[in-house]
Amino acid sequence: MKKVLIIGNGISGMMCAIRCAELGMKVKLIAPGPSEQSQSVMAAGGINAVTESHEEGDSVQCHIEDTLKGGAYLAGSNAVKGLCSDAKEIIHYLERIGTVFSVDEHDRVLLRAFGGQTFKRTHYCGSSTGKHIVSALVMEVRRFEAAGFITRIMRHHFYSALISDGRCCGALFYNEDARELVPVYADALVMATGGQNSLFGKTTGSSRCDGYAVGRLFMQGAALKNLEFIQFHPTTLQTPQKRMLISEAVRGEGGRLFYMDGGQKVFFMEDKYGPGGNLMTRDLISREIVATGRDVFLDISFMDRKAIDSRLPEVRDICAKYRGIDISKEPIPVAPSVHYFMGGLAVHNDHETNITGLYAVGECASIYHGANRLGGNSLLSAMHSGKVAAENIYGKDLCEHADFDNYILAEQESLKKMLGAKSPFAAMHIRDMLSDTMREHMSIVRTAESLSKGVEDVRYYLSVAERIHYDASVSAYINYSLNGILTLALAALTCADARKESRGAHYRSDYPATLDEYRAATIISYNDGDMQVTFDRENVYED
Amino acid sequence: MKIRILRQKVPDSEPYWESFNYDGTTEISVAGILDRLNFGDDIINDLGEKTDRIGWEYSCLQGMCGACAMVINETPALACETFLKNLKGDEVVLRPLRKFPVVHDLIVDRSVIHETLKSTNVYIGEYNPKEKEDHEHQYAVANCLKCGLCLEVCPNYTDGKSFYGAAYANDCYLVKARNREKAGDIRRSYAEHFANSCSKALSCMEVCPMHIPTLSSMAKMNRIIHSGK
Ligand SMILES: Cc1cc2nc3c(=O)[nH]c(=O)nc-3n(C[C@H](O)[C@H](O)[C@H](O)COP(=O)(O)OP(=O)(O)OC[C@H]3O[C@@H](n4cnc5c(N)ncnc54)[C@H](O)[C@@H]3O)c2cc1C
Ligand code: SF4
Ligand code: FES
Repeated sequence: MKKVLIIGNGISGMMCAIRCAELGMKVKLIAPGPSEQSQSVMAAGGINAVTESHEEGDSVQCHIEDTLKGGAYLAGSNAVKGLCSDAKEIIHYLERIGTVFSVDEHDRVLLRAFGGQTFKRTHYCGSSTGKHIVSALVMEVRRFEAAGFITRIMRHHFYSALISDGRCCGALFYNEDARELVPVYADALVMATGGQNSLFGKTTGSSRCDGYAVGRLFMQGAALKNLEFIQFHPTTLQTPQKRMLISEAVRGEGGRLFYMDGGQKVFFMEDKYGPGGNLMTRDLISREIVATGRDVFLDISFMDRKAIDSRLPEVRDICAKYRGIDISKEPIPVAPSVHYFMGGLAVHNDHETNITGLYAVGECASIYHGANRLGGNSLLSAMHSGKVAAENIYGKDLCEHADFDNYILAEQESLKKMLGAKSPFAAMHIRDMLSDTMREHMSIVRTAESLSKGVEDVRYYLSVAERIHYDASVSAYINYSLNGILTLALAALTCADARKESRGAHYRSDYPATLDEYRAATIISYNDGDMQVTFDRENVYED
Repeated sequence: MKIRILRQKVPDSEPYWESFNYDGTTEISVAGILDRLNFGDDIINDLGEKTDRIGWEYSCLQGMCGACAMVINETPALACETFLKNLKGDEVVLRPLRKFPVVHDLIVDRSVIHETLKSTNVYIGEYNPKEKEDHEHQYAVANCLKCGLCLEVCPNYTDGKSFYGAAYANDCYLVKARNREKAGDIRRSYAEHFANSCSKALSCMEVCPMHIPTLSSMAKMNRIIHSGK
């Protein structure tokens, strides 16, 4: 019986585990906490699919075209075709396992649209779609746990993969209870570790998604893709604990963006783009907000209080609870923030990376969203990729396992040294400095000059990071993850520098045009400290 | 303002109290305070001594994941949703949840919540609901964070060995509602691990951050029990 190790138990990891179990494979599903604590529970808006209840005129083909166009034609058309064609079955599957999608009084499915969609095709569960999908998947995982196919393991953090001769045979974990590294061997390793939020400090997402696993695998030889494409959400609210997402629904309901100039409100989006200005795409609005150089507000206070209560209750609550703002009386101060990572581990259409036996699914894999992702497509891709990876692992031949004893001993020794350190210095300080650098130099508008400053900063952090002893009273993970995170940040800056054009979420003020010669995915690989960027013009990853 | 924290280095060591001074804004959550205390250059207690950074868990930082559940001024609550301005007195007292084994400082091991659901087969299996489903209640119940606050406050819940508490009762309802074939089995588990020992203190509903109407789940579960099916 094949053994599959899956790291990360959000929607993509659980879906992959369930499909593996359905196919009779044995799964270990490992993460620091339960699925209820994954970022997937935060997805509010919905999941895209063209089903029987589609709007007139909509079709799978139209969903494919919207997705490719939204991604500025960097995503592979075969992969996107597979994604959109599977969407209907995914919705039905979710219904079968008990996800309650919102319906109208006649039990007809309700649909909404995010930016970039030609038709309304986003299915949702009230205001917490991700949470409801997670709750349904957790029950399914439990079923296969009871049947002995899935074992869930918590309080374990990824440390490194066990790779020899280009083949992956499992992973090393830091076990929080035993406070030591433990190996888990498997026929295939599936990474489902989500986005790279921590490169930018506090974002709209979960602090558990820090990019370390992707950074570490990169250092172990895995190729990464499209790291420069990072989606900023234009309207987020600063609070003392994080940046909170203020849903697109506010603008959908007529919310207006403005700044103050000499006591006058300037509705800059409407002035420039006409009455629909506030509904332009996420990246365009983000750039326009930055261009104002001022404090920007989103106003919905003209809306009737009752209408706010019925149509925007979450936004009302977030603003009141975290900032004491009554949105029916005052405007919401907003600024763009990092929201989604289109880049990550480069995978083929079967979700295998360039390393045999190493797979990636969900947000940590880069395949479907090209240069920008459409809202509602990431939950879809998390579900779809989990299935695809499982089915391909099932059909693959197995290889012999190598001997990793010496490697494991050496890593255990080096971690022991780190844990024994008696230093007050917090590794978190370097993470904080990194996020300042990334927010400044890898932001919405980029230039060669600013990116090179970013590279310089990160190189400096990397050069000192290895020599500093860290406060061992902080979680061991925060300490050992630093190097992988810094390396990933450097790789992202390097990709952004190499793409001398503007496309999708990547905007260079020194190269504002979109150029045909760059209509190819960015691939970056690592060799003993050196990073090499190529553009995948042959579509090597699209087969 | 003083922040007094019940700390513990490792699972089998002795707990101890340690206090910290905080004099920033009151427009901040307990999570925000813990973050500030932890990530100054050094972490200094109220005696001016350097000390270990405070262990606590978080993920979403906006009341959606349950990771940061703890006891705040004797009330079980989510740290990221409890604001200083709403707390009384000039001291904030933080303790780990008492009903679960402490791992480190404010971090507890809540795996028992998932274990009991697994060991009693609380899963839907084949989706086979009754004709008319109560979508609204199912929606409310599926919001459960598995945070354990309801168990912390419950007078009947001790260690999850026999009585499993509100989080369990709600998931039982979901299974019953979505697969009538399993209604009988689930009903038996529910009776054994919940209904027979619940004294209806209902404090679980007061602390639930998702405002889950557990009483309504109980009513719906009882309905089949009494109809004898
Ligand atoms: C506020 C918000 C709203 C959103 N709304 C929508 C929406 O409406 N529609 C949509 O389609 N998308 C939305 N998204 C995006 C969507 O939530 C994510 O892309 C998706 O949930 C990712 O799922 P995943 O399975 O890849 O990873 P996640 O759910 O992020 O899970 C990652 C898992 O990996 C684990 N992990 C991470 N690092 C390690 C490590 N080192 N060791 C071990 N385990 C590790 C984590 O603990 C977790 O279990 C939203 C995102 C945010 C932040
Ligand atoms: S029922 Fe409420 S308090 Fe109990 S675990 Fe679920 S969300 Fe937490
Ligand atoms: S950190 Fe998620 S609920 Fe507090």
